Amino acid sequence: MAYSKKVVDHYENPRNVGTLDKEDESVGTGLVGAPACGDVMRLQIRVNPETEVVEEAKFKTFGCGSAIASSSLVTEWVKGKTIDEAMALENSQIVEELNLPPVKIHCSVLAEDAIKSAIADFRKKQAARKGETGPAEGESANSAE
Amino acid sequence: MDPFATLGLPRRYELDRGELEARYRELQKALHPDRHAGASASQRRMSLARAVEVNDAYRALKDDLRRAEALLSLYGGKAEPEGGAADPEFLMEVMELRESLGDAKAAGDLARVRQLADKVEAMRGAARTTLVERFGDGAADPEPVALAEASALVSRLKYFKRFLDEVSVIEEEALG
Ligand code: FES
Repeated sequence: MAYSKKVVDHYENPRNVGTLDKEDESVGTGLVGAPACGDVMRLQIRVNPETEVVEEAKFKTFGCGSAIASSSLVTEWVKGKTIDEAMALENSQIVEELNLPPVKIHCSVLAEDAIKSAIADFRKKQAARKGETGPAEGESANSAE
Repeated sequence: MDPFATLGLPRRYELDRGELEARYRELQKALHPDRHAGASASQRRMSLARAVEVNDAYRALKDDLRRAEALLSLYGGKAEPEGGAADPEFLMEVMELRESLGDAKAAGDLARVRQLADKVEAMRGAARTTLVERFGDGAADPEPVALAEASALVSRLKYFKRFLDEVSVIEEEALG
């Protein structure tokens, strides 16, 4: 199957591969998997707690080219955005930007799930720090102010 | 299509390979075109279609993962959705295993690759043993709780397969 140019570019020169300290209070970690194919992805963001702006984003993906490209793209997109803006990201935007064929949609869904769960993780940590009761397991409440 | 019914085998995850082979050969022989040379065209078409069905069923049952998926869909179990909320600890473990495998590959450390593969094979073996229990002996449908567990185990099998496929690639490359 022919990958689009943008996929190949992100695949060959992935942006922001790496790890952030998951114990850090300003870091949110999203770890997701695709049971359809058995691939896994970790996406992490460092957020300024005052402004709620994403200052750094890193990922590590064990998966196909489309999954690597999707996560690479997402880390680029969310940098400089507020977490509310980042939360609005949808996999259809990834599909469109990378021109993914239908069989590869689940790979972009993985990237959407990963950023959302990273944001949820960050919010949970912040809520816990403020001494409020954090949102219930797994589900993320809307922002906690 | 129910591959168990097609081959006349009980709906169980545990497989008697000898029995599977015997049933398959028996049916193949009975459906062989030579034995239907004198039959009408429509009868010959039917036995041909049946032979195709038998082949598919045989291949589905022979494969440990496909057999599990077949049982799951027969019982109306749902495959697990995307995402990681279902089982974060397991995903963490898979992530760590994949990272270790990547490191071992980069270091050219084949002994370590094998060691990791053995570990995952053992995990897969344990998952299969539990699956045998959860799917039951085919006499009665599994309870919903057992079916939900089976569904989670089937997706674990896929993560293991993905890992072990990666190992095969690494080991084959090293040989070539
Ligand atoms: S095929 Fe597994 S993430 Fe793309």
